[in-house]
Amino acid sequence: MKRLLPGWKKAVRLALVVSVLFGLYALTLARHDERARIREQPVTLTPGCADKLARYGLEAGPRYISPYVLARTEQANTRQGYSDEDVRAIQRGCNIIDDLQGQLAADPARERWNATRFVRGTHSSCDHCHQGIGDKQTAAGVPQTGSLSLAASWVMADMYDQFTGILLPYELRQMQCYINSSNGYKPNVADDLIRDVTAYSRFLAAALDLRFGNRYAEQGIDEVTASQTAKRGDDYVRGAALFKERCARCHGPQGLGTVVDGKVLFPAVAGPNAFNLQSRNNFSFVSTILPGFICRNMPPGEEGTLSNQDCRDIGFYVSNLPRPAGDKQGPLAALWQQLMMRVMPPLIHTVETWQRPGEPAGSGT
Amino acid sequence: MTGMQPDAALAAMRDRQRAARQARRVVVTRGALAAAAVVGFVLWANFGSGRPVFSPHGTPETGWDAFRETYGVDTFGRDGYFVRAIQNGYNLVHHTHKYAWRFTRKGALDHPNACIDCHSAEALAYAFAASDRFDARLGRRVSFEEHVMRCYATHLDGFVPTTYDPAVRDIRIFARMVAHHLQLGEGALERTP
Ligand code: HEC
Ligand code: HEC
Ligand code: HEC
Repeated sequence: MKRLLPGWKKAVRLALVVSVLFGLYALTLARHDERARIREQPVTLTPGCADKLARYGLEAGPRYISPYVLARTEQANTRQGYSDEDVRAIQRGCNIIDDLQGQLAADPARERWNATRFVRGTHSSCDHCHQGIGDKQTAAGVPQTGSLSLAASWVMADMYDQFTGILLPYELRQMQCYINSSNGYKPNVADDLIRDVTAYSRFLAAALDLRFGNRYAEQGIDEVTASQTAKRGDDYVRGAALFKERCARCHGPQGLGTVVDGKVLFPAVAGPNAFNLQSRNNFSFVSTILPGFICRNMPPGEEGTLSNQDCRDIGFYVSNLPRPAGDKQGPLAALWQQLMMRVMPPLIHTVETWQRPGEPAGSGT
Repeated sequence: MTGMQPDAALAAMRDRQRAARQARRVVVTRGALAAAAVVGFVLWANFGSGRPVFSPHGTPETGWDAFRETYGVDTFGRDGYFVRAIQNGYNLVHHTHKYAWRFTRKGALDHPNACIDCHSAEALAYAFAASDRFDARLGRRVSFEEHVMRCYATHLDGFVPTTYDPAVRDIRIFARMVAHHLQLGEGALERTP
């Protein structure tokens, strides 16, 4: 039988446990209050967001009329307005898409809801793939086909998702991009990080006058399938050569991206900072999305100069560069990918400098 | 084996063998019975039970076909995940006490006992289009899902489901589909689609 502790010792222990619990509770309350305070604060917009939201006439008021729709249809489309709180949520959501990790923010953790907690790499930002801050438009000012538009995606949320085989609410679609495309962890559905992006996407849908349940061409990627080529198959070697020629000057000879003064100029397309093996952006997982993205958007300024075959070859090559494993692939795959990401770049770098000693070593190696 | 007669030894061995056979028979029968029970249950669940939990298809309630017709649900197909979710949403909205009995204390004889007693399908669609806004009264942003959860707890005198529960999700999908039918845009105001 256990000997009972003297009364005072027991009391001290109990008091200790109780005070630890109270401490945790107080900490939670403090964190909660801090979030509430951040929601109250005026938002410093990124330059891109300042432009976009001004163009769409976002301001607090009982009614919202989209200047974009007004200019195109000459009809005032009167919608439910936004309160000051709603406006700030939309502004923060825009900032998150444009600059996920807060490179442009004075206080990244507070201004981006600790977004870095949810991504492993240092490069990822939603806008790298969801370009034009989730609303890419052509020179004529109309949404670009297959540009991963967040507005078009919001009105089609909840539909059957062919990759996961379930009905995915908008929040879960965002989470997938944190997990795979940003190689990170999922925020809670109720996290401001998710809800502010939803608020922003919904505002875009209002500004562009998209209707619920309609499929718009700007949703998703304008995919490039094998049947849209001469069906020669995807050529890794050709892809490697094209990558060196067209992409390496920005994304680095091994796709590791270019960072100058702590600012990501060109994001990694391989290595620890890139999307992982289970991202839909990864060619060996979904073979049509990355080529579509490349054909439409890369290289910036020379979009549309690559043929479908070029894009598929490059996509094939890029996806074979070492990158993190997906969460569902288990520890062995993760370990293997970690090993490859450590070993391959220096190895290839050594071999290449040995083969062509004269050439300067590019960035990113 | 010194003291034992050969006959007796043989008999003992036979006894042991019989006992072993019997034990084996018991084990096999038990296993077979258990397997039969499982198979029987699966067959009953699939074909005989008629219970919605065991069926991948929505339960057709009266009015569903007319609703499907009027609201053009068939633009999304006649079956499939999304349509089944709409159908479940329809059932939840029109027969809340039956399909969301876990979240309401209202019974068949109470009135109101369903969302439709207080909200029309259109009203839910408009509420969806204007959801996720800051609510000055509550001092925070309230999503459509939270509104539904609140109505379960207050107006239907029940309990709060989670955001992920089909009892919430399928009502959102139902509202989304009606919003599609009315061709509402984000933030649409009632009577100005
Ligand atoms: C590496 C590229 C990449 C990055 C970075 C990225 N995404 Fe995505 N995103 C994609 C791809 C590819 C899809 C899938 C498109 C499809 O299925 O057709 C997608 C889909 C989505 C969807 C659903 C779109 C739809 O049509 O249903 C949402 C919402 C989304 N992303 C939000 C985000 C957010 C928020 C971030 C930043 C945290 C982000 N994404 C970062 C590539 C990316
Ligand atoms: C002039 C510099 C430049 C060149 C050349 C270029 N890119 Fe990019 N790339 C960028 C920038 C900048 C981004 C980030 C997107 C943005 O901010 O608009 C990007 C983004 C990407 C992304 C998505 C971002 C991510 O996180 O994965 C991929 C994939 C990509 N580029 C592939 C390519 C390929 C393939 C080529 C060669 C055909 C190429 N790029 C050529 C500058 C360049
Ligand atoms: C007894 C009547 C009653 C019932 C039954 C009822 N509600 Fe409500 N509901 C209300 C009232 C009153 C409000 C507005 C005030 C409030 O929030 O309580 C409301 C608000 C709402 C809102 C927000 C609407 C808006 O315009 O902001 C939604 C969404 C909603 N209810 C959905 C539902 C759903 C789904 C059900 C069934 C599960 C349901 N309600 C059942 C009375 C009811």
